[in-house]
Amino acid sequence: MISGRNSGDLKVSVSGVRGIVGRSLTPALAAGFTAAFGEFVGGGKVVVGRDTRRSGEMIEYAVVASLLAAGCQPVLAGIVPTPTLQILVGQQQANGGIMISASHNPMEWNALKFIGADGIFLNDVESGQLLDLYNQPERRYAEEADYRRVRTLEDPFAPHQEKIFRHVDVAAIRRCHFKVAADCCNGAAALYTRKFLTALGCEVLTINDQPDGIFRRNPEPTPANLTELSRVVRENGCAIGFAQDPDADRIGLVDNRGNPVSEQYALVMAADHILSDKPGRVVVNLQTTKAVEDVARSYGCETYYTKVGEINVTEKMLQCKAVIGGEGNSGGIIYPAVHPCRDSFTAMALLLEMLALSCDTVDNILASLPRYYSAGRKYACPANRARLLIRTLKQRYADRQPITADGIRINLERGWVLIRPSNTESVLRLIVEAASPTEAQQLLEEFDREINRQLTPTEKT
Amino acid sequence: MHFLRLGIAGMRGEVGSGLTPLLAINYAAALGTWIDGGSVVVGTDTRNSSPMFYSAVVSALLGCGCQVYDAGICPAPLLHFLVPHLHADAGILIGAGHHPANWNALVALGGNGAYLNAIQVQELLDIYHSGEYRYCEGDRLGRVSPIPDTAADSYLDQLLAPIEVSSIVEAGYTVIADFCNGSGSIMAAKLASRLGLNLISLNDTLSGILPHDPEPRPRSSTQVQSIMAPLHAAIGFVFNSDMSRIAVVTDDGETLSEEYSFPLAAQHILSRLPSGQTVVTNPCSTRTLDDVAARYGAEVIKTKVGQAFIVDAMLENHAVLGGDGSGSVVMANGVGGYDSFLVMVLLLEAMAVHKTRVSELVAALPRYHLQKRKFTCPAANAYKLLRHLKTAFPDARITEEDGTRFDWRDGWVHLRCSATEPVIRMIVEWRTREEAEDRAMQVQGILERLVSA
Repeated sequence: MISGRNSGDLKVSVSGVRGIVGRSLTPALAAGFTAAFGEFVGGGKVVVGRDTRRSGEMIEYAVVASLLAAGCQPVLAGIVPTPTLQILVGQQQANGGIMISASHNPMEWNALKFIGADGIFLNDVESGQLLDLYNQPERRYAEEADYRRVRTLEDPFAPHQEKIFRHVDVAAIRRCHFKVAADCCNGAAALYTRKFLTALGCEVLTINDQPDGIFRRNPEPTPANLTELSRVVRENGCAIGFAQDPDADRIGLVDNRGNPVSEQYALVMAADHILSDKPGRVVVNLQTTKAVEDVARSYGCETYYTKVGEINVTEKMLQCKAVIGGEGNSGGIIYPAVHPCRDSFTAMALLLEMLALSCDTVDNILASLPRYYSAGRKYACPANRARLLIRTLKQRYADRQPITADGIRINLERGWVLIRPSNTESVLRLIVEAASPTEAQQLLEEFDREINRQLTPTEKT
Repeated sequence: MHFLRLGIAGMRGEVGSGLTPLLAINYAAALGTWIDGGSVVVGTDTRNSSPMFYSAVVSALLGCGCQVYDAGICPAPLLHFLVPHLHADAGILIGAGHHPANWNALVALGGNGAYLNAIQVQELLDIYHSGEYRYCEGDRLGRVSPIPDTAADSYLDQLLAPIEVSSIVEAGYTVIADFCNGSGSIMAAKLASRLGLNLISLNDTLSGILPHDPEPRPRSSTQVQSIMAPLHAAIGFVFNSDMSRIAVVTDDGETLSEEYSFPLAAQHILSRLPSGQTVVTNPCSTRTLDDVAARYGAEVIKTKVGQAFIVDAMLENHAVLGGDGSGSVVMANGVGGYDSFLVMVLLLEAMAVHKTRVSELVAALPRYHLQKRKFTCPAANAYKLLRHLKTAFPDARITEEDGTRFDWRDGWVHLRCSATEPVIRMIVEWRTREEAEDRAMQVQGILERLVSA
């Protein structure tokens, strides 16, 4: 039992309403935000999905109650990946969607993510409107006579799979009969990944495939967390290993020799694959490896950078009609031909298609791509001081034309440096990327000194 | 108009403007906290908003670590039965019962399946108002499970255990029942087959669309009444939407005031028991009950108005029966709340055992004439009005057990602010219809003058 209310961990932002269940994320809070969302979409269908977290059911009940009270029709997709839900919003001609998932956060967290009628997350402006509605002193609820009934979807994943299969060469993948390993992170993917890969003609080995929300590995699909998947790939001679996060929007890779691949490289591979066939614009966030830009340039394509956050990348992609994009740092691949959202299933299909059509192995493909190394560090730093620091750096490196859309990114000959305040904690992150591990380390130390120099005197005053 | 009432009869209000999902969540969270994360049976009626309140309540209970039994669409007496039957710590009854459309209510039940008593309600509301609930972390949240398939049969087993079922089966009655499109009809087929009834059900869809005023009163019985004679029915019943209230239509086609449901049941039960029994009712129910009790040497205890008070007084006084003039009856060895199936079964048994018609059972009752009226009046003004009214009848004996009762030798007037709606309810009872109507007109006139003054 938790006595007293600790809402210090509650975070209301563009990425939704996120908190620790029972402490800051309560049924009443979920119901309150959902009622505001019901008013925001103005009735009609709202598709509701969740990942496998134990708390998902409780939050779903609260969400359903408020949608009904707002006069909306809840359409329940049950346990589904986030991209599946985003696709269902359009397929069901719904006015919106609510995904109950704290994505890659630990088990005790959960979140509501709000999706508009176009199947993409609410942007800054829309989130602001939603928050305004939430903060009104009085809520408007529907009359009982206007109440709608709850609907439950029978086969919620089917529209997602169909959409992907329309945009990849399924026959070519099937002919290869790949042997593939998948780590479902005990998340929503556990219900669908095996069937999906089997439908692509793969022989599938799965781990962490109980959909019970007890994450048996750290949920971020980064190399450090893929030891078990590496072992399975190595021992079984798999062509590739895929690692998903609890809501299956992110992807991590293990190559055919059983080595975990940097989380940035799924996007680099996908970009190379798509652009080789269909050159076009590329959009990535500021924390994405320069390898993407290098690959794009090799096909004569332009790369645009945005703030970190899926919605920022998505919006820019739609605006400039990009053909591929994503968030390299979080293993997020966005292929708008299927749907403008991060999608590990689309990523798996694209990478298998790449292997099938190139008749090459993952390690060979990676060897042919530009290689960068990154390093990072974080600093306790309140937001106002972070702003000051960024302003100083902007002046000092003005000749480098730093990008300040989100913190500051400085491109140097040796690589790039990104310094940005976190969206979720009072910390400042320093991320550097360079052509070798030694250079990355040097760059890191150089800017570490820079940051410390800037932070320390301010502390003294 | 915004309307919400929170108290001894649970949380009641107008859907959306008064009763909202957030309030339902807090009420259920208070209950989950009160029972320290135990198990709760949740059942609903068929109203349009009931699934919404069900979702809200279940979310809060799971959040408090409670095990939830989903009783689905469930008549009130079945839920009163299920809570102790499943060894649960509490229940929540979601349903508007006799309230008009666009209303709903949540009622917390204790581990015995009865409404919480005054002390328990106070504890629950203290937690509710504190806003400090037992919300758990993710790994300790509750889960939802269904109730056993046999639940309805177990209830009927208990209901019919003391009843001479064979006599009823032998009689082969044709019975008409109007379920008001509420939850009662889910039990209709089972009950009919056990009692060998030719049961003709009206308004038995689970739509929640009210076919008429949901209070079982003579004015709501026209459908039943019109087919009694053509179908040669032995008896007809009009229920409210959660089976807590009942009115009887006789074989002559007369719809009895719902006031007579309790005296009819009492007459049958008391006639078979030694004298010295106790029955419990409230101060605004018909004198017919007092007369029936006197006839069989039983004592009548009068409590405040409300199911919680009546059941509590029954338990405290080891009474055999409780009930009130709204057409509600509860029996000591039955379930912990008002049960219209019980009244139905008792009356069929009385008819079968005595081989008599219901109109003859009614003929044995002393009859009075009752006038029930209600005036819309917010609580703030109502209490002031009632205080003024006390000076208007110096010749009457005044008692203030619950509301204000004026007693004369031949009749009485009772006025009280409703616990569930913003109205003053007036009940007038006299020997003759004329006297009752005259007195009702007189009081109404005084009230209207006071309002305009």
